[in-house]
Amino acid sequence: MGDVLKVCRNMARGLLLWVREWCGDAAYERYQKAVLREKTACSLTPQQFYVEQLERKYSRPSRCC
Amino acid sequence: MKKIVFVLIWIAVASLGAAALGAIALNRNEKISATWFVVAAACCYLVAYRLYSAFLAAKVVALDDTRATPAERNDDGRDFVPTNRWVLFGHHFAAIAGPGPLVGPTLAAQFGYLPGTLWLIAGAAFAGCVQDFVILFCSIRRNGKSLGEMARDEVGKRGGFIAQLAVLAILIILLGVVALVVVNALKTSPWATFTLTMTIPIALLMGVYLRLLRPGRVLEASLIGLALVVFVVIAGQWVADSASWARVFTLSGVALAFWIIAYGFAASALPVWLLLAPRDYLSAFIKAGAIFSLAAGILIVRPEIQMPALTKFVDGSGPVFAGKIFPFCFITIACGAISGFHSLISSGTTPKMIQREGQARMIGYGAMLLESFVGVMAMVAACAMQPGVYFAINSPAGIVGVAPDAAAATISSWGYHLDAQTMSNLAHAVGEQTLFNRAGGAPSLAVGMAQIFSSTIGGERLMSIWYHFAIMFEALFILTVLDAGTRVGRFMVQEMGGRVWKPFAQTSWMPSVVIASAMVVGGWGYFLYQGVIDPLGGINSLWPLFGIANQLLAAVALVVATTILLKMGKMKWLWVTLLPMLWLITITMTASWQKIFSSNARIGFLSGANAFAAQIVAGKVPANKLTEIQRTIFNLRLDAVVTTVLAVMILALIFEAIVRWTAILTKKSEAVLHETPYVATQWIAGAEGD
Repeated sequence: MGDVLKVCRNMARGLLLWVREWCGDAAYERYQKAVLREKTACSLTPQQFYVEQLERKYSRPSRCC
Repeated sequence: MKKIVFVLIWIAVASLGAAALGAIALNRNEKISATWFVVAAACCYLVAYRLYSAFLAAKVVALDDTRATPAERNDDGRDFVPTNRWVLFGHHFAAIAGPGPLVGPTLAAQFGYLPGTLWLIAGAAFAGCVQDFVILFCSIRRNGKSLGEMARDEVGKRGGFIAQLAVLAILIILLGVVALVVVNALKTSPWATFTLTMTIPIALLMGVYLRLLRPGRVLEASLIGLALVVFVVIAGQWVADSASWARVFTLSGVALAFWIIAYGFAASALPVWLLLAPRDYLSAFIKAGAIFSLAAGILIVRPEIQMPALTKFVDGSGPVFAGKIFPFCFITIACGAISGFHSLISSGTTPKMIQREGQARMIGYGAMLLESFVGVMAMVAACAMQPGVYFAINSPAGIVGVAPDAAAATISSWGYHLDAQTMSNLAHAVGEQTLFNRAGGAPSLAVGMAQIFSSTIGGERLMSIWYHFAIMFEALFILTVLDAGTRVGRFMVQEMGGRVWKPFAQTSWMPSVVIASAMVVGGWGYFLYQGVIDPLGGINSLWPLFGIANQLLAAVALVVATTILLKMGKMKWLWVTLLPMLWLITITMTASWQKIFSSNARIGFLSGANAFAAQIVAGKVPANKLTEIQRTIFNLRLDAVVTTVLAVMILALIFEAIVRWTAILTKKSEAVLHETPYVATQWIAGAEGD
């Protein structure tokens, strides 16, 4: 029973991670990781990053017919 | 031993698929279960993915997992982001799956279930998936370049310009057509109009939440938005039941068209975070939920297909749109089989996020197979209703008449029995005043979905809720395409204008934003208005125009892909892109020719205009209709010009490509590939990215 619960918990966690990545919820965390990796200053606040990312995304075809 | 078992499994899958395909293809005059459609499609897709895409990956494009992708080389956490392949698959699928695979098959159901289903399955496996996969591969090898940039580099400067112009033209026609689908779904429906109107304040609320309160917390905001959307779908019934509120939200087609035009302008000119992006989040979640629910519903209910395999309208006399199976079935179903627009997504964000070249097969080829499956489900939903009901919903008043009894008599005379009371009962069950003359595909698909959903949960009692949920879902993500497309069109107009006068290219300069937005909205708004006032319902002339434009863009993508394969020295495998390209050129040029020059007034734009002109000369047009008919004549001639311009542009590109191919084959010019140089990946296999 305990194993089943563990598997279910892991699956739910995996699904939540997938949804967060898919919908863009985790985008700022990714950006912070990239900044840390490149060892450059974190130049954008969450608000700035959010708006900048949207501006970029919606300036080219992002949704098909 | 393992290999033998493996081979036997695939032989079993292929045999099952062939048997299911045989069952749906050879069945005549007997009702058939939708399960056969699901089994046939699933088995064909599995075989195509396992064998054909593996062949493409290994022999044709030779994917190389030792090569660093743009995401690895340029990882900046913003544009170039190495992304888990399943997440990227979800991103890519959400981007390519729009209203097209739902509306196109629904309209093509007028030919019967068979032609559309076969085209959906075969077209996706041999053309659509190939295009998406090869263009994705080409873009990965070129640092994520767009289709236009690749056309300019590999085919020629003119090619790049033509591709850009074609994209803008297609965008404008597409937006006009999808807006018409929304208008036809909402007109005289206070419930649906109220629900969709309320999604605007919900999106604004989400926009403020995401920008000011909890920046970037998309999941939280979307959950709040989803709860509110469910509430307004239910609240729509109270609005429809209240005489005073119902009057406010009961709008004619023309009034709705002007509201949508105003909305499109606002969404393009307002900050992207305020309205466009939150609506997109909302739409993406609802789209995913509705598509999976439809799939589950079909598997649980296993409805019987009521539509015959072939209807009498294969002869070209169909009421939904005029024209024979060849070529019109193949341009009516674009997304779901092959869509040129996908090549813009495959050369957009996806190549900048992919971790390994090897994943291009699953994402490029696999996501398109899934979209094709959505198209098959839409076909099932449309064909599971009584044919008479299907034709009553989708036929314009100009063909079947305005009065319910007259329309029912006309449809019955075609051999599809219908009585007006059946339609009245159905309209009552879904909470609408009438379901007659609602061309465009959305209402009939919503009826089909509501019948399937209500057979699973809630029965008759929830039929109206399910119907309006389906209408809201379709309209919501059509509006997402509308506002995202208008904004992209605005950027393209600003870029082109900037070549003439530099300040115009500044995307944040308000006069330029307003003028470019007005130009794009004016363009698609004109097509929308034309469709709304068209006596034949608009879909008859505009959907084929959109189909031609979209398939021409697919031909452009395949020209670019063929040129690149030729330069890679893949002569032996050139047919992989060359054959679908030739097929697309054949169907689009035949359709263009017929739409311009056919002597049948319902098919040919020019003969249609001449027929109306003759009616004026003969004094058969009442004085109060004269201006309307004159406007229709002008619109038909304009459609002929637009079709000609599109066809000539693509022929020019093909001519340029043929010149380039000849020069390469005769060794008059060197085959220079514009790939980025090889850089070995630093990631250990299986441990890349996140």
